[in-house]
Amino acid sequence: MDKAFIQRRRRDLIVAACLALLATQVPRYVTDVYIQNMMIMTLMYAALSQSWNILSGYCGQISLGHALYFGLGAYVTAILYTKFGMLPWFGMCAGGLLSAVIAMALGYPCFRLGGHYFVIATIVIAEIALVLFQNWEWAGAALGITIPLSKQDSWLTLQFAKDKLPYFYFALALACVAWFVTWWLEDSKWGYWWRAVKDNPVAAESLGVVVFNSKMGAAAVSAFLVAVGGGFYAMYVTYIDPESVMGFQFSLLMALPAVLGGIGTLWGPMLGAVILIPLTELTRSYIGGSGRGVDLIVYGGLIIAISLARPQGLVSLFSRKRKPAAQPVREAVAS
Amino acid sequence: MTALLETRNITQRFSGLTANSDVSISVGRGEIVGLIGPNGAGKSTLFNLIAGAFKPTEGTILFDGEDVTALPAAERCQRGIGRTFQVVKSFESMTVIENVIVGALVRTTNMRDARRKAHEVLAFCGLDARADVLASDLVPSEKRRLEVARALATEPKLLLLDEVLTGLTPVESQKGVELVRRVRDTGITVLMVEHVMEIVMPLVDRAIVLDLGKVLIEGSPKDVVRDPKVISAYLGDRHAVGA
Amino acid sequence: MGLLYGLIAVGLALIFGLMDVVNFAHGEFLMIAMYATFFLFAFFALDPLLAAPLVAAALFIFGAVVYLLIVRFAVRAKANTGMVQIFSTFGLAVLMRGVAQYFFTPDYRSIPHSYLGGKTISIAGIYLPQPQLVGALIAIAAFAGLYFFIHRTDFGRALEATREDAGAVALVGIDKNKVFALGWGLGAALVGLAGAVMAIFFYVFPDVGASFATIAYVTVALGGFGSVFGAFAGGIVVGLVEAMTTLILPPSLKTVGIYGVYLLIVFIRPRGLFGSI
Repeated sequence: MDKAFIQRRRRDLIVAACLALLATQVPRYVTDVYIQNMMIMTLMYAALSQSWNILSGYCGQISLGHALYFGLGAYVTAILYTKFGMLPWFGMCAGGLLSAVIAMALGYPCFRLGGHYFVIATIVIAEIALVLFQNWEWAGAALGITIPLSKQDSWLTLQFAKDKLPYFYFALALACVAWFVTWWLEDSKWGYWWRAVKDNPVAAESLGVVVFNSKMGAAAVSAFLVAVGGGFYAMYVTYIDPESVMGFQFSLLMALPAVLGGIGTLWGPMLGAVILIPLTELTRSYIGGSGRGVDLIVYGGLIIAISLARPQGLVSLFSRKRKPAAQPVREAVAS
Repeated sequence: MTALLETRNITQRFSGLTANSDVSISVGRGEIVGLIGPNGAGKSTLFNLIAGAFKPTEGTILFDGEDVTALPAAERCQRGIGRTFQVVKSFESMTVIENVIVGALVRTTNMRDARRKAHEVLAFCGLDARADVLASDLVPSEKRRLEVARALATEPKLLLLDEVLTGLTPVESQKGVELVRRVRDTGITVLMVEHVMEIVMPLVDRAIVLDLGKVLIEGSPKDVVRDPKVISAYLGDRHAVGA
Repeated sequence: MGLLYGLIAVGLALIFGLMDVVNFAHGEFLMIAMYATFFLFAFFALDPLLAAPLVAAALFIFGAVVYLLIVRFAVRAKANTGMVQIFSTFGLAVLMRGVAQYFFTPDYRSIPHSYLGGKTISIAGIYLPQPQLVGALIAIAAFAGLYFFIHRTDFGRALEATREDAGAVALVGIDKNKVFALGWGLGAALVGLAGAVMAIFFYVFPDVGASFATIAYVTVALGGFGSVFGAFAGGIVVGLVEAMTTLILPPSLKTVGIYGVYLLIVFIRPRGLFGSI
């Protein structure tokens, strides 16, 4: 069998496990609340971007409307908790399932659309949902939902008023799960099908790949994971309104780490998030000060630079240089 | 035993233009059949209809005794029709072995089996040494062979080859001819569209000549080459004058 | 309003038709144009109507520069070409918004009094706000000019030819980059014109482009990407839909109507109203 391949898969897994272990130790040394918050956000966006990457990176269906699923996850979790007293764990699962179902229902008409029509449809659908939520009185309309703080910290209700550390571990777990799901799917029928669909749907179809089902599968997995992230975010910030969980910037923030790190790669979203999110937070607080847009300038410049200079993403810097392409087999030369 | 593939009265129109009219052909098990004809004869259309790229306006397609006319391409692949593309459609961002694994996954969901199968097929097609190269880095003749390998990985009963020998150097196309023979020797039926008669004729058991969307003649390569209708329709423009 | 949407969208359609690239910074082009108009008014007391040609000219240069500095390289990318195009113009959009916030502050600004501002005109008993009316007239004039330009001038023909087959055009000695740069310039100039007019009756702020951009994409997609006539027609459709939805739904749901119509149309006709299948 293919030794090199198995070794690479195993190495990825070991590296990930080591990084995760290392990450669990970080809070011991970092006690600054501001930095801790930054780390939580980084991990959350890493998880979100990893999930986005499944549909947009692996399967090639660029969605700029994933804020919809993030928001749904947040809303379902918050509503079930505040109005029905259901545990957020349950809410996150429910939000995830709901998002997966909605992703498939929306995918049914959308996946027939090609290229830019699809991208714009995803933006537009998320915008519609945003406006609807802003006008939906029962769900708090534009005012949003405040999650009341309970007196006791508890893993059951995911409420930790005194200490942010549990959130850190939760976000870390989320990132690990998203990474592991990607790792697992990468070497599965689905993973191969998705990449085939991305590269050439017609050829994929001729090889027995049911293109439509592949896209649906990717959309469902991707939406589920993003919604769980949304549920976590709601419990973490304890206050949500439509703009703050369904706004277009979330769609963008989910896509950018993957773009930066390497779209359609296993490590790209992680690497991208680790660079991008702290950078955003730092520029916002140190240079930006009064929200005067420096963060956006840094951001925009970075995106342009990366997408022009390194279309494969930063991850490609790490991978060993491919053997030079110009090494045609002998008979081609001989003839 | 019935024929492996049979088309009955296939007619295909594209907004007024008739690409195939009343085409009935059959391909027996274990044959290598050449589908030839001048440019615009409707070879590619017929080929795509058999592969399931689109549905015919009229007529039925029988495969292995079953009506597959309405089935989509993916389903036909599962039934045992493998194809290549005239304009090569590799999965460019995937490696050679990964390209082939996609094909192998039709028959198994076990990744180990799929990978083993892919290696076998690559060895069969002489591409094993290039297994870990990105498909986009292959030279054109290798890409052609990758197409064949990918289709073979789906374990087809019928392999449709769309001009796999066209545009290759003599040495490359000789290797291609050998490959097609070996494919047949494993028990796979081959239907190949070719434009260049000189290469196909020695290879095929039977040739079907299309002209203006209709079957002009079919028979053994020897008979077909000598037929005056074929010479005037297809070879006339080149050979009649040149020779 | 529909005509102005059309005018914004035409620039986008022109660029898309020319080289299959969606400029995701189109809304920010509009924003820059509005700011330019505002500052011309604020510092030189130049009426927006007079400023319009200047702004269009400035945007023309800006568009061409953007092409030469960014887009030219984006379309050449070897890997992930589609993503690179989307995200490089997206990056530009974010960058421009950031720059606008930095220099102009996020404040809302408006042109308090201009030659036309706030006046209304009555035609057959219907009162129409003058700025909008003039805007519509300018839009129609711009369309006529563009039509004439594409069909009657050498450059227009070069533009058409390049969009048909860029390779062949290169063979007859037309510099593809030059044509593309001019195309980007022209597209930007059109949105510049729209921006100048809109500055009369809209607040100017760094994020102003975003809302109009989404509408512009919808408009262009409605018309079938790349079709200049389609974008014009799409603009009118969007304008009408907007007017109708305000009658039926509360104003906060205005965009829902437009977006809903977009989805409806592309689901039925995946290539837009006037797009070829």
